[in-house]
Amino acid sequence: MHGEPFGYEKPASLREFESLFAERGEDAKILAGGTDLFVLIKERLLAPRLLIDISDLPELRGISYDPGEGLTIMAGTKVAEIERSALVREHAPALAFAAANLGSNQVRWMATMAGNVCHASPAAETPPVLLAHGCELVIGTPGGERTLPISEFFLAYRKTALQAGEYLKAFRLPPLPARSAVAYQLRGLRRAMEIDMLNMGIYLELAADGVTVSDIRLAMGSVGPVTYRARGTEQRLKGMRLGEEFMAAAGAGVAEEATPIDDMRASAAYRNRVIGVLARRGLEQCLEQIGKGRGEA
Amino acid sequence: MNQRKFSIIGTDKVRKEAPAKARGEAIYTDDIKLPRMLIGKIKHSDCAHARIISIDTSEAEKLPGVKAVLVGSEAPNKYGIVPQAPTETALAIGKVRFHGEPVAAVAAVDEATADRALDLIKIEYELLPVYIDPHAAMAKDAVPLHEDNKYGNIAYMAKQDFGDVDKALAESHRVLEKTFKTSYVNHVFMEPHSCVARFDDNGDLMMWSSTQVPHYLHTMASQVLDMPMSKIQVTVPTVGGGFGGKGEASNNELVAALLSRKSLRPVKVTYSRKEVFFQHRGRHPIEMKIRMGVDREGYLTAIDYDGIMDGGAYGAWGIIILFYTAAMLHLPYKITNVRFNAKRIYTNKPTCGPMRGLGGVQPRFALESMMDDLAIMLGMSPYELKLKNAIDGKHDTVSGVHVRHSEYKKCLTEVVNRSGYLEKHQKLPFGRGVGLAGGYYISGTAYTLYMSYKPHSSALIRLDTESGVTLQCGATDIGQGSNMVLAMMCAEKLGLPYESVHVISGDTKNAPFDLGSFASRVTVAAGAAVCEAADKLLAQLLPVAAVHIGCRADQLLAGNGEIYSKFEKELRMPFWDAVEKYIDAFGPLTATGSYTPPRRTGEFKGGNVGHSPTYGFTAHVAEVEVDTETGEVKVVGYNEAGDCGQPINPLSVEGQVEGSIVMAMGQALYEEIRLAPDGRIINPNLHDYKVPTMRDIPHIKTYAVDSYDPDSPFGAKEAGEGPIQPTIPAILNAVYDAIGVRFTELPLTPEKVLQALEEKKRQEGLS
Repeated sequence: MHGEPFGYEKPASLREFESLFAERGEDAKILAGGTDLFVLIKERLLAPRLLIDISDLPELRGISYDPGEGLTIMAGTKVAEIERSALVREHAPALAFAAANLGSNQVRWMATMAGNVCHASPAAETPPVLLAHGCELVIGTPGGERTLPISEFFLAYRKTALQAGEYLKAFRLPPLPARSAVAYQLRGLRRAMEIDMLNMGIYLELAADGVTVSDIRLAMGSVGPVTYRARGTEQRLKGMRLGEEFMAAAGAGVAEEATPIDDMRASAAYRNRVIGVLARRGLEQCLEQIGKGRGEA
Repeated sequence: MNQRKFSIIGTDKVRKEAPAKARGEAIYTDDIKLPRMLIGKIKHSDCAHARIISIDTSEAEKLPGVKAVLVGSEAPNKYGIVPQAPTETALAIGKVRFHGEPVAAVAAVDEATADRALDLIKIEYELLPVYIDPHAAMAKDAVPLHEDNKYGNIAYMAKQDFGDVDKALAESHRVLEKTFKTSYVNHVFMEPHSCVARFDDNGDLMMWSSTQVPHYLHTMASQVLDMPMSKIQVTVPTVGGGFGGKGEASNNELVAALLSRKSLRPVKVTYSRKEVFFQHRGRHPIEMKIRMGVDREGYLTAIDYDGIMDGGAYGAWGIIILFYTAAMLHLPYKITNVRFNAKRIYTNKPTCGPMRGLGGVQPRFALESMMDDLAIMLGMSPYELKLKNAIDGKHDTVSGVHVRHSEYKKCLTEVVNRSGYLEKHQKLPFGRGVGLAGGYYISGTAYTLYMSYKPHSSALIRLDTESGVTLQCGATDIGQGSNMVLAMMCAEKLGLPYESVHVISGDTKNAPFDLGSFASRVTVAAGAAVCEAADKLLAQLLPVAAVHIGCRADQLLAGNGEIYSKFEKELRMPFWDAVEKYIDAFGPLTATGSYTPPRRTGEFKGGNVGHSPTYGFTAHVAEVEVDTETGEVKVVGYNEAGDCGQPINPLSVEGQVEGSIVMAMGQALYEEIRLAPDGRIINPNLHDYKVPTMRDIPHIKTYAVDSYDPDSPFGAKEAGEGPIQPTIPAILNAVYDAIGVRFTELPLTPEKVLQALEEKKRQEGLS
């Protein structure tokens, strides 16, 4: 099946891209990897007049780490680069793991995390981990940039907070405090090349006593129109002491806050039953990492 | 045994075409580009059951670049693989019977133009009730899909009754009754169907096609195009798998030929993956109600089978598969009371058909599950019960099927020993279990699909000093490696290197007749034809060599590129010198061979279906881990022991067995074509239709038991369809062992497992 014809531009610099995007943004789509975009075009769900190819813009590529700022991942960075990056593996191993579970190897070498996030599918692989990390998005605006916590980015099913003329420029993952860790849990029917029936990013931070939960983020995917945090549960869990009661409250809480539907991949009932299992397993993974970190220190 | 000392047979030869395939250089049908070639595209119905009120192609015809537009009424001849009851036409006429049915077609200068032309074809439908469930289709007031069908939407019915089932069940120590349901699954071969058709100035039609059965495509193209077969040639480029799905003419092939005739230009029609799901011909979902009896010692007393097969919209291989399902009940266990009662139903979905191990996979799932249950009821190991009932080296079934050679018992014992089944069964911790199951399959059929007495396979070998060895045989290599197998047999016979044999195959003009690649028939049937041709060649060549060497011809052998006396080492000459002398004296050196399966004498029952020259056997042990919190089933270990006779190429046998297991594992755990109530396929793509990935596949250990069928070419039997039979019940028996729940519906999703575990917990709480 073929979509409608479209124009194609490949700007040579970020400046050129920004002026082209300012001028033609309304009927244009940004082509980063195309792994979602071309599916939509071929299925005739999208008919952009122009594709602006940013896949080779050097200003939008790269991963860096600064002890104060944390991890910065530019929007044009390929998912496979994130998966393999030593910096990501060190400072955000759960993100490297999520990246490794996105699509196939071929897809990961084409796709970008920015595309995965801007596509705003509730089943997407990377948003739960980014939410767990408390990631900040750097958004390019006409003539400047602004930042936005990722928790305010997903407005509705496949709808984001990007305004006309804006584009996603970079991800900033703040440095993890002491006694904290992030985990990623996912469930699909098979073990690779899946759109998850459920996924979850889990952030856990312990107080200096090592047993009191000082902060927690539980970001759920595939249980609602967007990936979102179980904020009520997070509030209730803060200040609790680790233990069976805490784990049970976490599992029950996310199940309560999940609003899944029946679809091709799983039923709402199944999702409700298993989301709590993911929370529990994710928290156990975090505890194991925190324990390891302490052992080394 | 002297006959089992081979120099080429039994070695791990690498296929000649493998490197080119790995590099992406092999030429598949879709790679063919001819001068002036057009792209053909098909317009599919967007409703599942409707009368066609009108088709307006005028706008499409006006579009620049469109060279032909075709509708069903232009090719009204019906066709079908079973010629007595054809049900299909190249494009729908008067009615559509499933969502996605081909209704019209265009040929245009490029794909984009063809796509636009399809959008311009306007079809008006009058909607009819849609039946995606066979029970709904069988209701008294249901609208028949095929108005000329005798029994409403019941396409075919069959009853068979052997022994006295009622008496045997009444006298049984234990009788188990269960209902099983299998799912709607597709083959998922890598290469979608593709065909290029071209007419030459003489009016002759050439078809390049991705088919398993050039011969049957040849006959059906002749029917549909109303042309003598002699004016049609079918040739098969590299094929990317078939598994039965390319086992009859498909619409794209006939449409390509019709569009080419209309446009007077070559036309290619290649399916998208979605269209492969429309063409389908995958496994029939069957609802099987089965009663099975057993005596005190664990001997099976009777099988009473009641089945409803969901056939989809058309006849296709349906009636054959219905009878195969019946035949499959009789082996690999000794059973003398068997009743079979089944129907195949027309429903508004893509047509079901032949799929790897056809007829066997569904009943095997049910029977091997029930045998486990019966064994456990008797406090016996399933291994003991299965071994007790397994057939011996030779066997005659009550249905009249003769098994000339079986090592099934060895398969059971080997796989049990190699997997540690007895040490693990009922002894692993909750959530982990092992399951045993056995199975078998035919090695070719004894009868053709149409009445005929001609040989099923034939081969022609030519030896000459310029071209070397040329082996021509109509057998079709669809990726299973038949070219390699036949070349290895020819090379072994002539005592020449495997690499020196050039095979010309899969062509109705350039190679002598063969029925096609289905029913695991090629190794035995085409193999026998090749062996006969090679023996005849030697019978001509050896006397010439004997004169030169100076000894008796019957003391000469061919080997290592020489012809030599089996008694005196020094009496020898190079093979090719002998060929040259023969040709100098007598002219061209060629020989043909053919194979006709043995016909059964005496009384046989069951529409001749199920009879085969010989049978392959196999037994599996699966080990699974069930995540009791999420319901996921992970296959963590897999053992197989198989009797495929003498493996011609052990590496290829291993590939066939592993491929079978992975395919069936997908059907056990993941795969299912899902339909909306209106008959639309929800997941016609490989993103949402889920086959196992490398991460899901366990380490599979295969083992070929010592076996040699003395009546087969080089002792060989099938290896490509038997091994798919036991996988589903092996996995489900393992799940039973792991969590104590018997599942009877496929696929076994985490959702079903979790539900069953909760139900089990609830019931245990009650008791």
